[in-house]
Amino acid sequence: MSEGRARVVAWIGREILPHEADLRAWLRRAFATAGDVDDIVQETYCRLAGLAHVDHIGEPRAYLFQAARSVALEQLRRARVVRIDTVTEIDALNVELDEPSPERIAGGRRELERVRRLIAALPDRCRRIFEMRKIEGLPQREIARRMGVTENVVENESVRGLRAILAALAEGETEQPTAVRRPSAHDRTRKRR
Amino acid sequence: MTERESAADIEAAAARWVVRADRGDLDPAELEAWLAADTRRQGAFVRAQAAWGLLDRGRVLGAQEPKDAPRRRIGRRGLLAGLGAAAAACVAVVVSPRLLSARYGTTVGEIRRVPLADGSLAAINTDTALEVAMKPRKREVRLDRGEAWFQVAKDVERPFVVESGPVRVRAVGTAFSVRRRDGGCEVLVTEGVVEVWSEGAGEVPRRVTAGERVFASDSAGAAQPVPASLEINRELAWREGQIVLDGEAFGAAAQEFNRYNARKIVIADPALAEQKLVGWFRTNEPESFARAAAASFGARVTVRGDAILVQSVAPLAE
Repeated sequence: MSEGRARVVAWIGREILPHEADLRAWLRRAFATAGDVDDIVQETYCRLAGLAHVDHIGEPRAYLFQAARSVALEQLRRARVVRIDTVTEIDALNVELDEPSPERIAGGRRELERVRRLIAALPDRCRRIFEMRKIEGLPQREIARRMGVTENVVENESVRGLRAILAALAEGETEQPTAVRRPSAHDRTRKRR
Repeated sequence: MTERESAADIEAAAARWVVRADRGDLDPAELEAWLAADTRRQGAFVRAQAAWGLLDRGRVLGAQEPKDAPRRRIGRRGLLAGLGAAAAACVAVVVSPRLLSARYGTTVGEIRRVPLADGSLAAINTDTALEVAMKPRKREVRLDRGEAWFQVAKDVERPFVVESGPVRVRAVGTAFSVRRRDGGCEVLVTEGVVEVWSEGAGEVPRRVTAGERVFASDSAGAAQPVPASLEINRELAWREGQIVLDGEAFGAAAQEFNRYNARKIVIADPALAEQKLVGWFRTNEPESFARAAAASFGARVTVRGDAILVQSVAPLAE
């Protein structure tokens, strides 16, 4: 990965992924089938991937919504069945942009918490692999050796884990939407139980 | 033929690529080929990469507390005023003594469709003055101000000529629009062929075909026509009461909205005016447009009397 690309990918992870669940909810309200929404989300990420730099983007959440909106509009245009109420609906939904999300208010500690929780929620074997890879920093080969399994097993489990995490990001987390910062241990134990 | 790959399949494959890259077991050319086949794959791949990378922060973040991003407050969106109502039916159709001559006017914000006596159709945009005279040898339309699109009924005996200042646009059976601007006219052709010239320039008429646009200056006549079929569709979206933007500058887009509304968008900061936009809006909802644009630039909107003011916001001091 080039340095520029690496920076964009890191930015997407930090500033965009936390808003994906909200974006999907917003899109689902404007578009009938969930299939459309998945397509729009993927196309939207493709646009973000094409950014040469991201320093100029002051409001990543608004930027994400705007990008998704333009993808959705393009699909409408391509479909050539444009109903004015669909269009108005999209305009009306701009109200979403004005709501600062809990994520935006929260700081980095919450992000760390979030990453830990995502990993903690994985099935057992996946979770152990992710902890070794992501927290201890061991390469996949070493993980396979320690667990006494083949590298392919580690690969398959990692794919499974990554997909579970992507799904969790798509759905969003169900938790109190308040900006009050709770003692971090509380959430962790609750999730782990 | 092959069925369209589902988003879920793409996501699964993207996760596999990311894990294989992490393992160091990857042929970049193979990945490139996979990505090149569908933009959704590129999106799914970057998303999986981002999620994978995000997990590394479990380690990185443990060490240091990251700084908060500068916060900005965006005002809540107000309810839209019922602007459309104001621009209702104050239309003057004056039948002059000359038979089948009619004058049409639209007020700011008004868009009308008018069937003409010869079976042609005119769509008349905001703030326009138009006069139509159906003569035995010629159908004459005078555009004194504003913009109109015509779908012309075929009649080889009687050419359809739009006159705007010295500029002339002649059609037989075709569809095109004419917009009066300072010093000339913008002509967009949606069907068939038209001829464009200026009486002031004494030139040979320029042929402009469907999907082309041309600017005819009052004094110098018609320039070289430019192919612009996609643009034309967007620019004529006003016929459905819409403004479609695809990479236009915020400043230019605001001027478009201002054609339709008494309440004008004012952009306080020149740098903001240069920001590019994509979107689809109603002509009579300038505030909704201003707020959507402002939200994506991190700017602030203030409504004051007849002005919708858009300003940059400096990040609040922490």
